[in-house]
Amino acid sequence: MLCPNCGAEMNHHADKIDYNAGLDEPDLIDEVFGGVLEEAHTCPHCGHTEVRAARAEGS
Amino acid sequence: MSTERPLFIPVILGTPRQGRMSEHAARFVLREIEKREGIETELIDVRELPLTTEDAGGAIKVESFAQAVVRADALVIVTPEYNHGYPGILKHALDTNLKEYVHKAVGICGVSAGGFGGTRVIENLLPVMRELGLVTIFWDLNFSSVGKVFDRTGVLLDESYVKRADKFLSELIWMAKVLRHGRESVKL
Repeated sequence: MLCPNCGAEMNHHADKIDYNAGLDEPDLIDEVFGGVLEEAHTCPHCGHTEVRAARAEGS
Repeated sequence: MSTERPLFIPVILGTPRQGRMSEHAARFVLREIEKREGIETELIDVRELPLTTEDAGGAIKVESFAQAVVRADALVIVTPEYNHGYPGILKHALDTNLKEYVHKAVGICGVSAGGFGGTRVIENLLPVMRELGLVTIFWDLNFSSVGKVFDRTGVLLDESYVKRADKFLSELIWMAKVLRHGRESVKL
């Protein structure tokens, strides 16, 4: 994932389950974990953080 | 590259109660952070956050608070102990964010009128910190008998707290640096 601020390759450092997000977006609920599995990415260049649903990348 | 940017460590004051002595503790910690080079900070006062009780969680996110947490490398939470627990409004405020906290460090300062220095409220907050994605440190800052630590105007009466704060902040800053490195460079 490229940083929208500076274009550097971001580092995927965490996955986190958001149970409340699943209430609004049930299609995104991970069947194993019961919530929306989200990836946290941080830019090593500028420190910008992005979070996206893991399914967005097909993973 | 990451070491060139200053660390940002805001202090969250967790009670809106009138006459709160926790404000003196929060401002003291803020001043101790400001003494350190390469660290930026600011006070986040739950009393000043425009929180509604019409809803909860991310639905009532306060953009300025969320952006401060996004920018933060670590948080200091200053909380009084009310009936052995944390103020409800502190939890209400913390719950407005989630993903913003992931892999950030947190240190907790407990404030009490009695002799336990908020140890019980800190223990109660630890599982909350973990679920939010924060990483706790093993130093706390316990303001016991806070009425003897500060006078009514906030002047520090007990200089031992300078050394206590130094140990607490040194550990928090170390963890903040390690986690910044991890967020930016260590793959999952």
